Amino acid sequence: MTGPSLDRTVREFGTRIVAALAARFRDLDLAEEAFAEACARAAERWPRDGNPREPAAWLYRVAMRASIDALRRRRTRLLHAPEEPEPEPTAEELMSEAPSIPDERLRLIFVCCHPAVAVESRAALTLRIVCRLSVQEIARAFLISEPTLLQRLTRAKHKIAEAGVPFEVPSPDAWNERLDAVYSTIEVAYAKAHEDAAGSGPHAQYAAEMLALSALLAELVPHEPDALSLAAMLHYAEARRPARVDRSGIMVPLSEQDPLLWHRPLIDKGHAYQLRAIAQAGRGRPTPRVIQAQIHRTWCARRSLDEPAPWRDVLALYDMLLEHRDDAIVRLNRIVALAEVAGAQAALGQVEQLDAATLANFLPYHAVRADLLRRLDRPEEACAAYDAALALGPETAERNWLLRRRDRMAKDIRPIC
Amino acid sequence: MQYMLMIYEDEKIFGPGKAGPMLQELVAKHMDFSRELGAKRVGGAGLKGTSSATTVRTKAGAKTIHDGPFAETREQLGGFYLIDVPDLDAAIALAKKIPLAGDGSIEIRPLLAGA
Repeated sequence: MTGPSLDRTVREFGTRIVAALAARFRDLDLAEEAFAEACARAAERWPRDGNPREPAAWLYRVAMRASIDALRRRRTRLLHAPEEPEPEPTAEELMSEAPSIPDERLRLIFVCCHPAVAVESRAALTLRIVCRLSVQEIARAFLISEPTLLQRLTRAKHKIAEAGVPFEVPSPDAWNERLDAVYSTIEVAYAKAHEDAAGSGPHAQYAAEMLALSALLAELVPHEPDALSLAAMLHYAEARRPARVDRSGIMVPLSEQDPLLWHRPLIDKGHAYQLRAIAQAGRGRPTPRVIQAQIHRTWCARRSLDEPAPWRDVLALYDMLLEHRDDAIVRLNRIVALAEVAGAQAALGQVEQLDAATLANFLPYHAVRADLLRRLDRPEEACAAYDAALALGPETAERNWLLRRRDRMAKDIRPIC
Repeated sequence: MQYMLMIYEDEKIFGPGKAGPMLQELVAKHMDFSRELGAKRVGGAGLKGTSSATTVRTKAGAKTIHDGPFAETREQLGGFYLIDVPDLDAAIALAKKIPLAGDGSIEIRPLLAGA
């Protein structure tokens, strides 16, 4: 009678068990500690007694008992009374009828992504508690030291406990605001993984965890178009990872990426999510996230470099997005599409209408401007714009790309550049 | 849990001495809000302007008395509510309904004793 291994059980049911404990006892620390204790006991007992038939239920039951014991110890400590000895659960108790583990993962996600928790801590806390990533893994993904991360996690958990953040699914009037905090948490966390275009090292695993989290959210709130489109976007973006950097470590712009290198199964999953999002959005105005995912979908529908790039459709979608979200990123992305449809001159005209002073430290502004000036044969100005972009410290693959463009042009006009 | 909702507004908009029609109007709104709070309201009050404030400061054991508020900021503490609600979300929902004359912020703090 050997059930699944401890590792596999923890991987498959860890979040569910911790979420159920946290929801029941309204205490993240307690839930984590009790779960760790249950795992430690399993590591000791299962090799000796054989894996239980219902390993998840076993862990849940033992963790539940550990939580109750810990609470009792806390109470007696408060009363200055001697601690009661901890009763060991008997084998029979542990084998008896399996308790069903309630699915409280959505509640847990809402707790970790509560707007009252500092923005920079929400993603880390969600990855730690919901995705069960180790402190080491998260610290590496966020490029911060482990002590800094631990401090952030501790502060966030402290805030949740002290401020009285409810372990509840939010009420209808707070639903959208709270879900939005969840979406942006996942977006911020995924952007971290996406920045590293090469996707080498720890980021690949981390990106996989983010995909799983977006899929989990889509499963938990299957009627929310934004949750479905968010999952679609992450799957599309991840699908394109193999084509984002060439052999020499230089970034490849989306329109020049070879669709044959894209990961088809992930794109198919993305399509499935996006189709559901559109169906859920129904006849209402599509939300910005649904439109953004639609832009990804349009690109990912391209089958090979022989097919023309879908610039016209992309431009139309950016026009639609601009009605919802008028910011520099959307405008610049729209201008890139416009350059392909209406020419570089028209596009540059729109760039020059943007407020240069407020965008002085915004890398895409300089990069887009540089590219348009290059195409319009204004090399001196283009060089200056490339330099401005480079001065803002892009990550390696993008820096290499900007350098190559600048240097190719510089060859023609030396010694000006 | 008990929370204090601290109301920060730019008191200048109420005019000198924090009196006048704008304040009257806002006070009436606060009365309505208090009625709406019902049993959730444990206490609360509006405060006179910071020109009436006096600060007792302790430094290295010595106490000194100063004219004015502790810190000069764009928004000043202008009033507070003490409420008793189940959790932070309930407190946030009420904080959003607090009437303001213009821009401002509500700081939500749980009471030590209410934990």
